[in-house]
Amino acid sequence: MEIMEKDVAKTATKLKTQQILEGKVLSVKWEPNLKYAWDNGPALGRYLAELKNGRIIAKKCNKCHRIMIPPRMFCELCWRPTDEWVFVKDTGIVNTWVVSYVDWKAGRLDIKGGVRPITPAVIEIDGASKGMGILHLLDEVDPWKIYRGMRVKAVWKPAEERIGAITDIKYFKPIE
Amino acid sequence: MALIERYQKTTDITYWEGRIPMSYIYTVGRAGEKFFREIINGRIFGARCDTCAVTYVPPRTYCERCFARLEDHYVDVGTRGTVHTFTQSYEAYDGTRKESPSIVAVIRIDGTDGGLVHWLGEIDFKDVYFGMPVEAVFKPKKDREGSILDIKYFRPIK
Repeated sequence: MEIMEKDVAKTATKLKTQQILEGKVLSVKWEPNLKYAWDNGPALGRYLAELKNGRIIAKKCNKCHRIMIPPRMFCELCWRPTDEWVFVKDTGIVNTWVVSYVDWKAGRLDIKGGVRPITPAVIEIDGASKGMGILHLLDEVDPWKIYRGMRVKAVWKPAEERIGAITDIKYFKPIE
Repeated sequence: MALIERYQKTTDITYWEGRIPMSYIYTVGRAGEKFFREIINGRIFGARCDTCAVTYVPPRTYCERCFARLEDHYVDVGTRGTVHTFTQSYEAYDGTRKESPSIVAVIRIDGTDGGLVHWLGEIDFKDVYFGMPVEAVFKPKKDREGSILDIKYFRPIK
């Protein structure tokens, strides 16, 4: 595999990037094929299937009366199976958030070039119990004007583009 | 509702597929430089520690037993050896199935205490035996690039 400038990490070694690129020192480049398949299980399987339908589904425990999102088959507080499937809204409030200058691959975002920092947030979903939320992105908002308790709503992909993934929701945006 | 919700059809089972992007560059190091540069010349090199009477193949920069520097003690060890262990492999590097199996062997280079893992060629699996004398078959010189694959395989010495 060809070695490019971007591949060579800046480390404490005495070797210069150029020495590797020009083959002055011998090296091997390799990309292990790290594929995985993760079983969704019944709870997240249904959750993802409903996202494709443009709905958010949660699960309720009839003992502690919590409505849990994302749904789970087992109540970790009551130590018993959960009971009912409950649809919740696609609106909520910002619980926590962060303004991030790196993307999810740990690459630096070109902020000086005008790229908006990404703003991941935990959003407490309306209809679920207090504190129950999902991790998603905020957009259509000034990153520095986000506040705790801000009301937001999901922005969905068009139905034909949804595949049953958390990214079927593009992001959450503020609502009045 | 029961904890176990039974799937009625296997097609109801869903899963999430992903791929973890990862790549690395491994520089072969000082002894590795000597080893692979000499492979281009069609030679196999080791490192000799006279104090311990040990010859390492591939070469090392220092002796693992007495920690002496061996960088001035690289030696041409020839291209012949014997089959130390061997097996037949039906899988490629990445775990995919090969059309035809290959014979993989540890080859002890004659007169040394080291060896190389490589393929055996020009022989049937049923004819391979422990201690079988073999020699390295190199690629044509113009195709060599300083890789262990510059040796195509080891073949029996007739």
